[in-house]
Amino acid sequence: MIELKNLTKSFTTTTKKGFKKETNTVNAVNDVSFACRPGRIFSLLGPNGAGKTTTLRMIAGIINPSSGTAIVDGVDISNGNDEVKKRIGFLTGSTGLYERLNPDETIDFFGKIYRLPDQQLKDRKEYLFEKLGINEFRKKRMGQMSTGMKQKVSIARTLIHDPEVLIFDEPTSGLDVITADSIIDLIRESKENNKTVIFSSHIMSEVDLLCDDLAIINKGTIIYNDSFENFRKEMKATNLTQEFINRVKEA
Amino acid sequence: MSHLLLIIKKELSELLRDKKTIINSIVLPTLLVPILIFGAIKVTEMIDKKEGAKTVKIGLVNAPEDFVSLVKQDTLNNITHYEKVVDFKSLISEGTIQTAVVFPTDWQLQMDSLRTGEVQIHRNGTKDNVNGRVTKMLASYNAQIKEKRIARLQVSVEKLTPFKENYIEVSEKKELIGKRIGGFIPYLFILTMWGGCLLAAIDLVTGEKERKTIETTLSLPVSKFTVLLGKAIVASLLGFIPALLNLVGLIAGLKLIDGIPASLKLAINEMLNFQSVTMIMLLLIPFSLFLAGFIIALVAGATTFKEAQSKATPIIMLIIIPLVLAMMPGIELSWATVLVPVLNIGLGVKEIMAGTIDMLQYAAILASLVAFAVAAIYFSYKKFSDENAILK
Repeated sequence: MIELKNLTKSFTTTTKKGFKKETNTVNAVNDVSFACRPGRIFSLLGPNGAGKTTTLRMIAGIINPSSGTAIVDGVDISNGNDEVKKRIGFLTGSTGLYERLNPDETIDFFGKIYRLPDQQLKDRKEYLFEKLGINEFRKKRMGQMSTGMKQKVSIARTLIHDPEVLIFDEPTSGLDVITADSIIDLIRESKENNKTVIFSSHIMSEVDLLCDDLAIINKGTIIYNDSFENFRKEMKATNLTQEFINRVKEA
Repeated sequence: MSHLLLIIKKELSELLRDKKTIINSIVLPTLLVPILIFGAIKVTEMIDKKEGAKTVKIGLVNAPEDFVSLVKQDTLNNITHYEKVVDFKSLISEGTIQTAVVFPTDWQLQMDSLRTGEVQIHRNGTKDNVNGRVTKMLASYNAQIKEKRIARLQVSVEKLTPFKENYIEVSEKKELIGKRIGGFIPYLFILTMWGGCLLAAIDLVTGEKERKTIETTLSLPVSKFTVLLGKAIVASLLGFIPALLNLVGLIAGLKLIDGIPASLKLAINEMLNFQSVTMIMLLLIPFSLFLAGFIIALVAGATTFKEAQSKATPIIMLIIIPLVLAMMPGIELSWATVLVPVLNIGLGVKEIMAGTIDMLQYAAILASLVAFAVAAIYFSYKKFSDENAILK
């Protein structure tokens, strides 16, 4: 379960103009509240720069909120984000894997960081490698792999500690359809396993395939938050993409 | 294994798989000093041999017989006699001769009447080999005439020598050489250390951004401080190891390479004993952490390798200036200089090598370096925690 309560994030930038310094504060995320329940897939939709990544990074404990909080799997992120991070699997579109390590070393590193007992780590690693077809390139360095191979390893590292909460930030961005399909399978499977899943996207076909609940964020503010079923019922446009565009423009 | 050790192991594995790091941090520092020593010896030998075998074309005017025979003793001297002073400037610049020695027409008369004659030497000041050899011949000729005059005047040599200087060296050879060359030693390993720390710190911070793994690292259930400390320790190791290898290379070079004067070899060997090497290395541990923390703080906001390099490279001046100061005469290790980073290492190493270090001052250097290292790590942690900078 993820519960966001008035989550706000402000960024302050300083620009130098000659001898003068100008400070600018922007609310990237403004007073955002919503809840994601276990066994359901929550989609966070929004155009580029709307605040999706900032919201997900706050939930994942990567950045700290300026105000408000989020309860992740029963842990308040304001009480120290390391406990929250242990409960989360975080996957982004850009694979972000250590290029000079191979899959074996990568998964061992993550497993040990998550403090998995040796045998459990070994079993879980073998299970994921078998399931994702990583065995044939498990000793190859990440830097020498194709994007598809890297994404498989990314999935394995996200799931190595079997987290209760899964966060996917535009997970299929820039991937070919076959690799994107493996991510969609993973999201579905996580739902079947009663995990709490939140994913951000602006690809409406993916939303249509996976979504149970959704929120639309624009300029840092939630402009819609309900079940996908209700969203469909309220639709005025003929397709999802047009409806999304209309709602963002109206906001 | 603790999180810190896991981070260190992972960062080290990554860095040591990079060919650039291996070459810059292991291969070059180990081979640099032996290559420099070997190269310097061989080049000097080669130049000496080549210069010694060169023919010197000398023009002589009114040269007395005894001087001509002195010049002829060296078969490499090629003599051209001139009747009078001609345009030697042109002859030297076009290479007909390389130098000309002009004696006055009444030379013999001047010598017989025990007067001081004037010999003109036309030369090109940049030709060290030619000028050196001619100066040597003239000095020898001068001494020869002086001897004859003393004999003729029947004056004893003692009467013409009021006193002789007899210098009694009270410092040990180790101290003498240590103070003279000790200033150069920190140059070697501090610059290597800087290079190692710089490459590693940029790779570990900016490199993570470029490879888009920084978000992955920050999503680990490990505090930012642990991640930063792990990176700083690895960057400092990658600075410390080359410095250590530099020293190993220096010791190995001195032991294995022939041609180094035995007295110098002995003095340096004595200076680089276990105690002094340990004392130097102990100073370098906090210093490498200071450098690593300082560089990480500088490059934390950079998004590309190039930007990070341009931000960090000018800081090299802050290293070179104190090192140059440490070699200047009159600047000694004092209670004021023990607190200036880099300068304190430069001066401290000099004193350690000379065997004259004050242990209290040594402890003060060490304590100040530890304090600077802690401050640099704290500063880099602040920068590393700046979300605007690190997730840019």
